[in-house]
Parts: sequence; C-alpha cells; structure tokens
Amino acid sequence: MPSNPESLPEAGTLTYLEAISLALQEEMAKDESVFLMGQDIAEYGGAFKVTRDFVGEFGKDRLVNTPISESGTIGMAVGAALLGRRPIVEMQFADFVSCGFNQLVNVAAKMHWRTGAAVPLVVRLPVGAGAGAGPFHSQSMEAWFLHTPGLKVVAPSSPADAYILLRAAVRDPNPVLYLEHKSLYRRLKGSVEIEKGTDSDALRCGVARVLRQGADAVVLTYGRPVHAAVEAAEMLAADGVSIAVVDLCTLMPLDESTMLEWVQRTGRVLIVHEAGLTGGFGAELAARVADSAFAYLDAPIRRLAFPDHPVPFHKTLEDGCLPSTETIATALVDLVGW
Amino acid sequence: MATTPSAAQRASHDFSGDTLREIHLFMRLAREWDLRFERLLRTGAIGKWYSSVGNEGVTVPAAQAIEAGDALLTLHRDSGAILRHYLDPAQIFPDLFSAERASGTARRLVEVDSGELLFGLACQMLGREPGFTAGRDRSYHYNLIRREAGLIHVGMISHIGAMIPVAAGMALALKQEGEGRVALNFIGEGGTSTGDFHEALNMAAVLTVPLILVIENNGWAFSTPTNEQFACDSLAQRGGAYGMPGISVDGSDVEAVLGVMNAAVERARRGDGPTLVEARVSRLRGHSESDDSYKLVEKAQAGAVASTDPVELLERRLIEENIATREELTQLAERCHELVLSAVDRALEAPEPTPESLSQSPYAK
Repeated sequence: MPSNPESLPEAGTLTYLEAISLALQEEMAKDESVFLMGQDIAEYGGAFKVTRDFVGEFGKDRLVNTPISESGTIGMAVGAALLGRRPIVEMQFADFVSCGFNQLVNVAAKMHWRTGAAVPLVVRLPVGAGAGAGPFHSQSMEAWFLHTPGLKVVAPSSPADAYILLRAAVRDPNPVLYLEHKSLYRRLKGSVEIEKGTDSDALRCGVARVLRQGADAVVLTYGRPVHAAVEAAEMLAADGVSIAVVDLCTLMPLDESTMLEWVQRTGRVLIVHEAGLTGGFGAELAARVADSAFAYLDAPIRRLAFPDHPVPFHKTLEDGCLPSTETIATALVDLVGW
Repeated sequence: MATTPSAAQRASHDFSGDTLREIHLFMRLAREWDLRFERLLRTGAIGKWYSSVGNEGVTVPAAQAIEAGDALLTLHRDSGAILRHYLDPAQIFPDLFSAERASGTARRLVEVDSGELLFGLACQMLGREPGFTAGRDRSYHYNLIRREAGLIHVGMISHIGAMIPVAAGMALALKQEGEGRVALNFIGEGGTSTGDFHEALNMAAVLTVPLILVIENNGWAFSTPTNEQFACDSLAQRGGAYGMPGISVDGSDVEAVLGVMNAAVERARRGDGPTLVEARVSRLRGHSESDDSYKLVEKAQAGAVASTDPVELLERRLIEENIATREELTQLAERCHELVLSAVDRALEAPEPTPESLSQSPYAK
C-alpha cells in the first residue's frame, strides 16, 4: 500500500487486501485518535503486509508493535478505547485471538451493558483455510463470538465490502470483529467499484447483499464461500435451475429481513459457511428460518460447512473439506429435487 | 531493582500533619464503610461482601498520590482508594477540613459533588436503581468516567488480572494525550499468577506507559497461602524482571506507602514508565464475608495480626506526634460512621431496579 495518496490505486483496481489498507489509511488520516496495535505491523508492515509503508506516514506512536501478547494487546486496546481512542488491533492470524478471548467476551463485550461506556475497538482477524496452513492458521471462529452479546461480527467477501465494512467498524462505538479471509487478499482484484472516500453516514453495517436473484432456492452465505456459491448458481443456471445468493456481509447485526425475504421467495434454503458444522452460525440461521418462515419452506433447511474436525495441513486433505463450487452445486441439485 | 524503603527514606518524606490527617480521614471513613456493609450482610440486606478492612493503609495513600484527571482502576478491597479519589474533605466535613487545607496537598480534586458520589456508590453496593449500573452488575463492578470532571474510575470484572491490561491501555491513551496523566491499578498477590499480569506488565514496560500497579499482598488468595502461589522471595522482584522499578513496602505504614507512591507517580508523569509496588498487608477478614476461609487464615496467622491494623497504627502515631487527640479521633470516627450510615440508609430507601434496566442495549449507539 503506497503511503502517498497520489499513488493510491484507482477505484476499481484494488485487491481485497489493498481495500483493507486503504480503509485503514483513510481512517487514520481523518482521525488522530485512530491507531493500530499488533505484532510486526510497523516497519515490517504486518505478516500479510496490510500496513506496509504506514509507519513512514503515521509514525510508531500510531503503529504500535506489540509483544506476542494477544490478551495484553486486546486488553490495552479496550483501556485506550474507554478513554476515547479508536484502536484497531491486528491479530497476526485469527486463530491467535483465542489467547485474547477473555478480554473480548468478558471485558470488551460486556462493558457497555454493564457500565454504559462505549468501547470503539476493531479487531482484525485474518481467518480461513485454503493455504495448506494447518489446524492453527486456518480457522473460522465467528461462532465463538456470535454467542456473546456486545460484540459485532462482520465478514466481507469483496474488496468493496472489505473497504466499507472496515471504515464502518472503525466509526462504530462498539467492539467489532472484522473477519478478513486470507485467501481473498490477493485473489480478488478490480472486480468491484470502490466507494472511495465514502461519507461515514453511508457506511453501512447490518445490510446483506443479494448477489443473484433466483426462484428455486437461496444460498445464505458469507466470506469466501460467497464466490463458490455464485459460481455454482451460474453453473446451475445453464441447466435452467434458478438460484438466489445472499451474502450476509455482517453476522451481528444480521440482516434478517433480506434473508427471510429470499427464503420466502424461493422456499428452499442452503446455508454455506467455511466454519465447522456443529454449533456453527448456520445452526442459528437455520433456527431463525424455521422460526420465522417455516410455512414457506418446501424442503428441509440444508447446511454445508466444514466437517467437525480441525483444518488439516495437507492441501489435498484441506481442499476436500472446504465448501466448493462443486459441493455447493451438488447440494443445491439435491435440495431443488427434494 | 526490588527495594524496600529505608527508615531514613521514610523520615525524609516528612509529610505534613494535614496530609496525615487527610489520609486518616479516608482510612477511617473506608473502615466505617466496610463495617457498615459487613453489618448489612449479617442482617441479610446484601448477599455478599468483600471487605477492605486491613487494606486501608495501602489504598488511601496510593490514591492520595494521584489526582483528578488520572485514571483509577480498582478491585474489591479498595474502598479506601475509591473514597479518597471521589470525595472532597472540605465538602463532607467543612468544619474540620477547610478548602485551603484540602488543597494544601496540592491535589486536584474531582469536580463532582461528594454527597452525590457517596450516595451513588452506596446504591451501587446495594444494587439499587440509582447505582452506577442500575442493578445490572454487582458492588465494585462498575465504571464512573466523567472526564470533564476529572473522574476516570474503572472497576473490576470477576476475572482477576483481566483489568491490568486495561489499566495499561488507559495509561497508553493518557500518554498519547500528553498531559502527564497516569493510571493507578490494584491487584492482589493471587492475581500476580495470571497471564494478564505478565502480559500487561511486560507491555507497560516495553511501551513505557505511565502505569503504577500496586499489589496488595495479604498473604492469602481465598485460602491459598503465598508459598502455594509463587516461589520468588518478593513479588517486587518481578518489577526488575520486566525492566521497571519493583518496590516492596510495609502496607501498614502509610507514610512509607505514600512516599513510594509519590515517587512512582512522579516517575510516570515524567515519562519514565511504569512501577510495580508490592504492599504487604495483613489479612484481617475472609475472602468474602460469606465463606469460612478466615478460620484457616486465623489459625495460620495465630493472632499475629492484631498490631498491624493500619487504622490503629496511624491513629497511635497521630496522637504521639500531637497531630490529633484521642478525643478528636473518636469524634471523627463517629462523624464518619454517621456519614456512611446516612448515605447507606438513603440508598436502602432508593428504588430497586425495574426490568427497564434490562432495556440497556449491549450495544452503544
């Protein structure tokens, strides 16, 4: 990410990673109280180079390199946030957030309800599998946090949403967990129009995107599987099967009305996420669909998720576990034929 | 870097009689506060009480060393620090403490009405609607942040150790603001065994933040003695291990504590970073007043604690030094008792929380 604003990439040509960098850079330039904390983020620019060249522009006071102390770092960010700073914490890999779990679920999440104080904190979580990185560098842990009132959880699937949702997260007076999928960092480019310089009023959190309309079934998904779902829908369209795809974008708050609208329109639901099946967010989505749209259902609610075991190291083993265009298409054919 | 202040260092502090009287006021007030709630526990008016009795010789002088604008983070045995930080002696006892006298210590006081704070605190302890959390959380689990009034107080959560990183982060924010403000946090000796203690102290030292962490070492974590909690000779040694001063002090000697705290606060204000203070106190009460852990403690201490009651020790010294007479001290104790009684009685009349309190969203707007 170049630090000179004149050399910023043109709108529409950003990768997912560059969109994250741009959002960080704009928020830091706009608001002195925004600062970053994380391991190796200053001179080195972070494990994934999201903050490359930032230190020259913003200095080390606003790019706080931390020791390997996730709990200490998140706890310090909460303390700073209580005094009106807007810290953004980078977890080197999302997996390591488990070491800061207590600070998030007990200190940060419960603070406003207990005491009325705002905790404007963002924790960036590079999530997800797909790189053959094994059980401790590949997890999707949104369900751990969605069970905790007080936390917001967002999961952008595109550069445009990566940019918009990160800026919205920084402006939010609550702790926001920002799930950025590592395998999207450099894969997506130029596919969307970046809403650069968007006014904060227009930044939205809690709005789903209907990526495809369809009549036979709807896929409810978020994060990386969004792309496989769209591909599967395109594939099936050639066979005359009409599939809607809803990208939830933000999981807490959840755009339940958009989700339910497409359940009602199609009568068949496939929920897809990369996180594990049992106790995954898909279970909550299925419960809400059953509660609110049972009468509209023409088939059982189906879920496609990671098997209930850790993410394997070997690429072949890993690939077989991830929701793919093929597995989604197969599940949809089965669902539509029910 | 683990050191103990020498007698010569203590004598050199030479605190004025006014300073000692002010410290005594809040130690006595804290004592009456705790005795009142211990009594309410026995009558069934409250369900649980963690007593600060025995810790006043640390908490009051520690809070005396900071002032309005600084951040205070407390646990459940820190009523002394809270009362010292919240209340203006000239407001609560105008006939005994003139405004000039109170400011003789050059402390900036929080600009909130003392009566309002004491009533709010009593309501918070009793879970009443006007309490700081309106019944959503218990006793010392609350925040009171009114920056325009110089009041920054963050209470505890039940996970011991979890607030030390928060204190370090508040210190970081205060450093970023550049006004020379500091954060003061307390922890028990049992809390030094947590990962957060380690992570926060290491980060505070690496990032040179203005944090003073005071360990109130009363020798027992619930029923666990120190030899089953840690194997080092003194917890102050850990300061040196993190690259900050670590000072061990007798927590029943208020002048020694104030001297150590003043130096630590001054160092933090200068930008020289954090200090770890271990204050040794006696365990004069149970873990909470609803368990029988004190039986075990009492047996092990074998009556060795009677002479270390910090309030008694200070009162003896005030009389010996002709700073106060026994009659004056007795009278002041009665006044403190009355003040606490009236605030708590008023709080007992305050409404219980209604289900509307639950309409508080977990999310800030």
